[in-house]
Amino acid sequence: MTSGDVQKSSRFVYLQVAPLALVLFFFFAIPVALVILVSFFRYQMLVGMVPQLTSKNYVDLLSSPTTLALYLSTVKFTVIVLIITFVLGFWIAYFLVFHVRNLLTAIGLFLVCTVPFWTSNIIRMISWRPVLGKEGLINSGLIKAGIVSHPLDWLLFSDFSVVVAYVHLFTLFMIVPIFNSMARIDKSLLEAATDAGATRWGVVWNVVLPLSKTGIALGALFVVTLTMGDFFVVTVISGGLSGSATSGIFNDLQFLNYPRAAANAVILLVVVLLVAAAIFRLVDVRKELVR
Amino acid sequence: MAASPSSYGPRPWTFYALATLFALFVIFLYGPMIAVLILSFQGPSAALVFPLRDPSLMWFDELFNPRRVGDVIGAFERSFPLALIVAALTVVISVSAGFAFRRRFIGDTVIFYTAIASLIVPGLVLSIGVLVTFRYLGMPAAWYSSALGAHLSWTLPFGLLIMFAVLGRLDPSYEEAAYDLGASRWQAVWSVVIPIVLPGMIAVALFGFTLSYDEFPRSWLTVGSKNTLPLEIWTMTTNVTSPALYALGAMTTFVSFAAIAIALTSIVAIQRRRSGLK
Amino acid sequence: MNRQVRPGSQETGEIRLVNLTKTFGATTAVDKINLTIPHGSYCCLLGPSGCGKTTILRMIAGHETPTSGEIYIGKEMVVDRPPVARGTAMMFQSYALFPHLTVLDNVAFYLKMRNVGKAERRQRAEEMLHRVQLQALKDRTPAQLSGGQQQRVALARSLITNPRVLLLDEPLSALDEFLRLRMRGELKSLQKELGITFVHVTHTQPEAIALADMVVVMDTGRIDQAGSANFIFNRPKTPYVARFMGAQNVLTGTIVHMGEGQLWLRGANGAQFEAATSEAPLTEGSPLSFAVRRDRIKLRTNVGGKAATAPNEVRGVVEATEYQGSYVKVFIDLGSGVFVAHVPDGDFSAAPIEKGDPVVASWNPADINILTSVDKGAAEDPYSDTTN
Repeated sequence: MTSGDVQKSSRFVYLQVAPLALVLFFFFAIPVALVILVSFFRYQMLVGMVPQLTSKNYVDLLSSPTTLALYLSTVKFTVIVLIITFVLGFWIAYFLVFHVRNLLTAIGLFLVCTVPFWTSNIIRMISWRPVLGKEGLINSGLIKAGIVSHPLDWLLFSDFSVVVAYVHLFTLFMIVPIFNSMARIDKSLLEAATDAGATRWGVVWNVVLPLSKTGIALGALFVVTLTMGDFFVVTVISGGLSGSATSGIFNDLQFLNYPRAAANAVILLVVVLLVAAAIFRLVDVRKELVR
Repeated sequence: MAASPSSYGPRPWTFYALATLFALFVIFLYGPMIAVLILSFQGPSAALVFPLRDPSLMWFDELFNPRRVGDVIGAFERSFPLALIVAALTVVISVSAGFAFRRRFIGDTVIFYTAIASLIVPGLVLSIGVLVTFRYLGMPAAWYSSALGAHLSWTLPFGLLIMFAVLGRLDPSYEEAAYDLGASRWQAVWSVVIPIVLPGMIAVALFGFTLSYDEFPRSWLTVGSKNTLPLEIWTMTTNVTSPALYALGAMTTFVSFAAIAIALTSIVAIQRRRSGLK
Repeated sequence: MNRQVRPGSQETGEIRLVNLTKTFGATTAVDKINLTIPHGSYCCLLGPSGCGKTTILRMIAGHETPTSGEIYIGKEMVVDRPPVARGTAMMFQSYALFPHLTVLDNVAFYLKMRNVGKAERRQRAEEMLHRVQLQALKDRTPAQLSGGQQQRVALARSLITNPRVLLLDEPLSALDEFLRLRMRGELKSLQKELGITFVHVTHTQPEAIALADMVVVMDTGRIDQAGSANFIFNRPKTPYVARFMGAQNVLTGTIVHMGEGQLWLRGANGAQFEAATSEAPLTEGSPLSFAVRRDRIKLRTNVGGKAATAPNEVRGVVEATEYQGSYVKVFIDLGSGVFVAHVPDGDFSAAPIEKGDPVVASWNPADINILTSVDKGAAEDPYSDTTN
């Protein structure tokens, strides 16, 4: 087998990549295209979708103050969650890479962090109810310790609980890429910085942070897309009190108003893609992922 | 692995601060799950709060009674095989595509970015899309067709990225040595490359299984009339206010843990055998 | 193990490269190489990183396809053949032992690919391991072996294919000094015993001259000189080879007079050089470079003033001295360049020379080796003065 066997193998390559291409085509490309198409259809009560092209859905959505309010709410959550997951993710990754001496221990602790990822998101989310609820763990603990006289009701079914749930579910997506980037940093760079007089914080600010940029960008990408695209956390854990862009879609689907839901979905998709594109400009994704 | 120059001396105060942060984080991660596990043993008082009174297994029993808490068994009988099929397909398709990507070919960039896009697109959007697609094709949505495809659109990019990492790190000398020793292309792949990247493939299978087993948004509209387990749990959160929900949570988490344990122990076993520790 | 010569083909391990070229995009890694390696010889391809030696090895092996040119192994043109059909076996720099197989299965791999039965191939593999004295480790995995042991396994794995040519890609680079010297001896005696052709790629000059019957010195895709180690060491053809092999000084002068088989050259700072020559046509007034071995230099320290120098002498100031055990390296600044003399240990202690001493270096005209191209200066040469 010489590398000159290119002729024969290139035809085989297409066979190898065909299943992936087919699945992506039928279960991604076509569905997304159809969503865009349907978003331009008309909706008639009791009839359903009518294949007449109209931009009514978009006009309605974009001029409605509810849409704006919901998107603002989503953005608000996303930014808060992004900041918290970044701080947590960065320092935990830093701890694992730079403070844990034994490689095996570091990998073990890393796995400990990732295990919850493999379990059901829904279960993890509802597990917060008995913890944050009025008669839950935290409130009972606080009352018993005499810190408060009656239970705090803003712990659950509030913006607070939504943020807590998002942080709980998505911090891992920050930890993993940042851990990856940090682990690749040549340790002698840090020693060189210290030799040149940098304080420990200076080393972090001047060496570790810049070199972890790609990991941070990837983590941010994941957190943003997951938070903006989520709807079950926000409906279950906020008790319907907080809104998000997806709850609008959810409502439309309940009424079988597919065209409007599709239009809403397209708007959401565009926003997400814009954020992703912005992040892609900072990171050469292909180079980073295809090592 | 320590970076500070005092790496072989006493630890700086930041170590203790960060270690505390880490410990708190782990408690934060696992606390709720442990709470649920404990609560699932709640007795007939059916209180969804602490402390436990008369612990019992009654709520686990309730799960198997479809009229009172929903069709848990049925949902499991759909989720579990679906997850297995998704895992198997993800491994085969990702490994195959991973090999293809070792060379450049026409359309490789398009397929790569499509896979990344599939990762980014919100599951809800995709769910709507798949439903509409099947409507137009005149086919009913079902867990073994539309949901299967929707799950694959999520697991395949993960599998592909893992295979990229694994195959990218593979030393090309192994295959060249195989050719040198008379292996054909197929033999080199089967006898040399696949055994070496087997741990990576197990990881892909794990991703495929757990991502499918726990998947919610992409199942939502695509499973048809019969729910998968996550969907069933979703309906239960609104209807059911008994610890049966927590018992279900405990059990489903157990299945996930079992999958992780199997994957991890096989990977560790392979590595240990290779480095000679028996 | 007796190498069985194939019937009807005496020189089965002879390698002939004809106009062999390899380009990678815009870069030419190997440029129209012509070389004949005799059957049963130990040939070293020597040169710095990037000179193309590994590419040539891989093309002979079949892991790289030539852009143009032909490769003959034992009179058969092999460029279209897969590696296993060429009668070659390759030892990789990283050994490339299959990590998922035991030592025994690694060695038996070739036989497995040929569908030899399990019992038989394990037995033959065990015999081969016995030859490299590793049969005790047959059930270990490569991760459990030391570097030297891994190399022996790689060797056994290659030899079981009964090759007529063994190709070695920097086999000793990964070993520590002591092991390297020992393995050198083992490789040499192995080659003699097997009687097959060895092609060994290295960037270490002492290794090449210790092992090779034939040394091929390469520079950016071309062969500068190919010949026996002795010949190349004593009579390098070009300034590059002279510097790369080390232990030579390169000087340049202009031809002022030619006649009766003698040359008179004038060098920098009024130096005069006289040498015998039988080389091809030279014209008066053109520049000429030559090399003189560093250990054939005599130094005189009691010099004063600017007395006119005799022929085959240069004058300068000692820049540095470096102790090397059996001799001392004396670096002399001539003003026009650096000149190095290797003074035997005993002579140096008898008459120590110090930095700053004015000194005259002289040599016997018979030790002059005329080079075929003019020296462009040590600055162009990445390997000036890195070897002894």
